[in-house]
Amino acid sequence: MLMRPFRVLAAGAAIAVLAAACAPTETPQGRAVTAAWARAADSGATGGAYLTIVNHDSATVDLVSVATALAASAEVHESMQHDGMSHMMPRTSVSIGARDSLVMAPGGLHVMLNQLTRALAAGDSVPLTVRFSNGDSVLVRVPVRAP
Amino acid sequence: MDPPRDMPTVAFTRQDGSRYTLGPAEGRPLVVFFGYTHCPDVCPTTLADWKRAKAELGDKAARVRWVFVTVDPDRDSVSVAERYARQYDSTFVGLSGDAPTTAKVMEAYGVAAAREDGTPGSGYLVSHSSQVFLLDGAGKLVALYPFGTRWEALAADLAQLL
Repeated sequence: MLMRPFRVLAAGAAIAVLAAACAPTETPQGRAVTAAWARAADSGATGGAYLTIVNHDSATVDLVSVATALAASAEVHESMQHDGMSHMMPRTSVSIGARDSLVMAPGGLHVMLNQLTRALAAGDSVPLTVRFSNGDSVLVRVPVRAP
Repeated sequence: MDPPRDMPTVAFTRQDGSRYTLGPAEGRPLVVFFGYTHCPDVCPTTLADWKRAKAELGDKAARVRWVFVTVDPDRDSVSVAERYARQYDSTFVGLSGDAPTTAKVMEAYGVAAAREDGTPGSGYLVSHSSQVFLLDGAGKLVALYPFGTRWEALAADLAQLL
């Protein structure tokens, strides 16, 4: 069995494919969501989304919240594997270094969409507001992929 | 898994009242994962990988039993578990057992799960064993795939069993 490098490769491939589908959205200070995708899911269920956020600025910034009208709440969580167990924990803040990027990917950081207000099907998009610690925010239309 | 290990048979009741048995079925390998439907990341990733493996196998995949078993039956009713699995592929089976059945199947497969604090929005989270189990048609455990294993590995092993 081959192990983990897949996660990074798969994320990279997904980002490459979806970059065109998700136009970059950038704050005046140069924080851009350059790729994003969400999973298809039922109404009322839990959804998941993945973002790539690039910080072009010379100052570190924190991702502090995400929000969408299509879910009762949205949160950033992180999955971790330990001794064959999958654990997940909420992340109230994720730092993005100067001229660095934050890449969410399956098995790691992700956006949890709680109690979707409607079903998400491939071809839909999720309007997601991404807020940073400097007070800036961007609105991203996250394309939904088939499961 | 060398040598292949015999696994206990565990039966579940489905939404339509029929029984679904995790056990031997001549010529029909069994792929099993334990998770919960409020899981936004690891469980969907695993079932999405199964979908890719199934596509890779083509027509032969019709003989494979793909089964998701919830470790969170308090929130995942039988119908919720069934619908969750079907989202990925109409042939994927989602099972939710009553408390004794869930305990029995988790013990049989050596699966652990524990509730952890979430947020008011997410409700409790569930840590859980994240391997995929592959049983042959004789009901013997032949391989375990830790989360993150390439789906191609599962597809290749299934191709050998079919």
